[in-house]
Amino acid sequence: MNVTTKPGADGGDAASVSKRHLSDISVMVAGQGGDGSLTIASLLSQFFASHGFHLYSTSNIASRIKGGHAAAFLRASVEQTGCMGDHIDLLVAFDDEAVVNAAPSMAADGIVVFDGSKGPPPEGVLAESVQVFSVPFGRLAVRDLGRDLLKNCLGFGIVSRVLGIKDDDAEGSLRKRFQRLPAAVVETNVEAFRIGLQSAEEAGLELGNSPWTVDSGEREEHLMIGGNDALSFGFLAAGGRFYAGYPITPASEILAWLERRLPAFGGVAMQAEDELSAINLAIGAALTGTRSMAASSGPGFVLMQEGVSQLGSAEIPLVVIDCQRAGPSTGMPTKVEQSDIGTMINGGHGDYPKVVLAPTDQGDAFEIGAYATNLAQRIQGPVIIAMDRALSQDSTTVKPFDLEAVKIDDAKLLSREEVQKLDEYRRYLITDDGLSPWAVPGTPGGQNLVTGNERNEWGLVSAEPKNRKKMIDKRERKIESVRDDLPKGARWGDRKAKIGLLGFGSAGPILVRAGIRLADAGTDVQVLRPRTIWPVLDETLAFIEECDRVYVIEYNNAGQFAHVVSGAGADKGKMVSMLKYDGVPFRAVDIANFVLEREAEGQ
Amino acid sequence: MTKTYKPAEPIWCAGCGDFGVQGALERALIDLNIAKHDVMILAGIGCSGTLQNNVGTYGYHALHGRVLPTAQGVAFANPDLTVVAVGGDGDGFAIGAGHFVHTVKRNPNLVYIVMNNSVYGLTKGQDSPTMDSEGAAYGLDATRLALSIPGASFIARGYSRWSHQLHELTVAAFEHARAKRGFAFLEVLSPCVTYNDTYASWDSMLDNVDDDPNYDPTNMSMAFTRGVELDEVGRMPAGIIYRNDNAVGREVPPAMSKQNLDPAQHLDSYGKIMASYAV
Ligand SMILES: Cc1ncc(C[n+]2csc(CCOP(=O)(O)OP(=O)(O)O)c2C)c(N)n1
Ligand code: SF4
Ligand SMILES: [Mg+2]
Repeated sequence: MNVTTKPGADGGDAASVSKRHLSDISVMVAGQGGDGSLTIASLLSQFFASHGFHLYSTSNIASRIKGGHAAAFLRASVEQTGCMGDHIDLLVAFDDEAVVNAAPSMAADGIVVFDGSKGPPPEGVLAESVQVFSVPFGRLAVRDLGRDLLKNCLGFGIVSRVLGIKDDDAEGSLRKRFQRLPAAVVETNVEAFRIGLQSAEEAGLELGNSPWTVDSGEREEHLMIGGNDALSFGFLAAGGRFYAGYPITPASEILAWLERRLPAFGGVAMQAEDELSAINLAIGAALTGTRSMAASSGPGFVLMQEGVSQLGSAEIPLVVIDCQRAGPSTGMPTKVEQSDIGTMINGGHGDYPKVVLAPTDQGDAFEIGAYATNLAQRIQGPVIIAMDRALSQDSTTVKPFDLEAVKIDDAKLLSREEVQKLDEYRRYLITDDGLSPWAVPGTPGGQNLVTGNERNEWGLVSAEPKNRKKMIDKRERKIESVRDDLPKGARWGDRKAKIGLLGFGSAGPILVRAGIRLADAGTDVQVLRPRTIWPVLDETLAFIEECDRVYVIEYNNAGQFAHVVSGAGADKGKMVSMLKYDGVPFRAVDIANFVLEREAEGQ
Repeated sequence: MTKTYKPAEPIWCAGCGDFGVQGALERALIDLNIAKHDVMILAGIGCSGTLQNNVGTYGYHALHGRVLPTAQGVAFANPDLTVVAVGGDGDGFAIGAGHFVHTVKRNPNLVYIVMNNSVYGLTKGQDSPTMDSEGAAYGLDATRLALSIPGASFIARGYSRWSHQLHELTVAAFEHARAKRGFAFLEVLSPCVTYNDTYASWDSMLDNVDDDPNYDPTNMSMAFTRGVELDEVGRMPAGIIYRNDNAVGREVPPAMSKQNLDPAQHLDSYGKIMASYAV
């Protein structure tokens, strides 16, 4: 560890720092909850966004709202990545704990900007090669400006010098970020920033002598959005007008987004008394023909399962979302995991048709949200969307959505006129594609009985064996009738590569990064990131068929997705599971090393 | 006219109180001249939960205990419908008790008729929450529970054997919900002749407040006091126990089911939302 407090201070000087020109940088800003670590991260976002970089941002906040250690992470890269980098290049640490937490992930040639208000950074924690600039920016903020919180803008000044950002440029970003605040407040923040520049200077970070410089990107206008927001937006755009939920991490953003947005479109999002109520409220709205949705995370998603089975049996369209978090039980609510795969596919009791979809990234969450909303109407049954903590809550830059491409597909919903033309109407009419025309309450002549009990075509309860078999088969045919249209996965790499990487949701972008690393190391792989988890599509089976070996990479301990795929007929002997269930996201470097080691063993 | 399903014959045992409830409901629909296609009857699970099959309206068989959330979803999404939730005392006050509390509180515009027989009829006679089993468990009085919940706007108790009053109470409940005054809760004592024949005891336990000129159903404290006083002498009130004619039922944005969903119509607004994420 090299600590620089002022030029020539023992331990080294700025000149000895490895010079880097950055086109891809991962930053961590960490401190106590109230320190405002998000502020520096968002100022940096502002800067990198206006310089054409792609962004990925995530945070790590203990469930406690105030206090507790908090960290904000930002990756800015010229190329779109959709995930954090393997290492932290730059750490802004407000206290010792931040340094201790970040140390294992620090890049060997990384830089730490440390708030030395309470003394020097902890000894022996960071690698020797990591350069540290210790400046008491908290103390300076209080001494010069009388407010501790201004240390954020002060810190930003120091950081901007580390990155070799021109002072005007950095100040511009700060002004833009705070443009909605009163002028006086903005000026105070700018003053803090300038004091930061001055103290940077004293620590050896003179302009023109910065350790690092940053590239500039050529990204066109994008959206910076989290998966939960994008998914909610897709639902809205495809005509979604009713939502019910009960607060739970990491699904709460969906309730908040729709509560805010639906009323302007004649819709409503309701906070129910529990998840049992939430899914049944949504079922009620769906019965009227209203496009509806319910969402939760593991514990609440399980409470909804009787309702999911009801959707399948009674033939009611509904989008149901599981924003997975680390289980089992209450588990680790703020950590990433993909361990509800079994529940999503088989959570409800009995045999019933269902589709489980998984967005490949935040942008795809919009597409999948819109698609699922139409699909539910089409199959008159449950469409489940597999989200995960990172996909739901982390934000990244995505291409603007193609709003004009969103269509409303009312499938077999009957209008008043259509019903009037019918001689007779049977709610559960047996058809070739399994789909029965659907009349909603209020339609004269369309009166019908909707029930989860087995029934005949008229909706009257029946346990007659022949009827029973016909009804189960009819419902099953609905999935076959849409199978060819279900979303195909995202592909990367040479289709002739003999090694495959298979994974979905927030693991996907990391697989692509691993693919790039492997290619650099001379090992060609191809990547498949399925968007349809259930039914297992032919493309997934063909992918495994065509490869010699497929690494199935997922966030759980049991290899749940691998089991689903092999259960659908894939050759188990070709599949190697790479599993992670410690709540920490995969790193491309670890995946690449895992593959290289296994491949070396195989030879 | 399109031919639809032929209403089912009731499956209840001869003498079951639920016949009286169905009769009162059908008469109310006729009296109030409500078209069957504008009515949705949602039922819980139990013997009582088969009523929706017998009337000829739109019907839905809810999950056990979940009839109230489902009925609210329907009522919120399409306020033009007359929404009726029906079910048993187990369905409403055991497995669905949480929803009962929150429904009273929300005061949605719908009718809720509970056929209280103090047992689980369909599962063959186990005690329900309203069973008073002398010391082992106290029977729940759901009308008093409802009274204690802010937002309560219509609380009544009928008796399936008193068909004249039951008809009047059913009509009053429909009128309350259809006038958008909110949630009309009607508990009907509806004996289960097979597992808990309570005709004789209920004949002698009920005190008809509708016949009492001194009883004011708009006075909530009187409603409470009367319920407690009667309980102390082993009796209970029947009739309209409480009503708030000035109540306003909860209506969330009008008719979600009737919104224009065409994305082309909303491109501007959707575009604005998207612009708020631009970087
Ligand atoms: C989740 C669930 N648990 C249990 C049952 C079994 N079950 C069916 S009806 C019933 C009780 C019915 O009692 P009540 O609601 O009083 O109706 P009644 O038959 O007396 O009219 C039970 C426990 C079920 N259908 N679903
Ligand atoms: S078992 Fe009891 S509640 Fe059920 S139908 Fe027979 S009498 Fe009625
Ligand atoms: Mg009962």
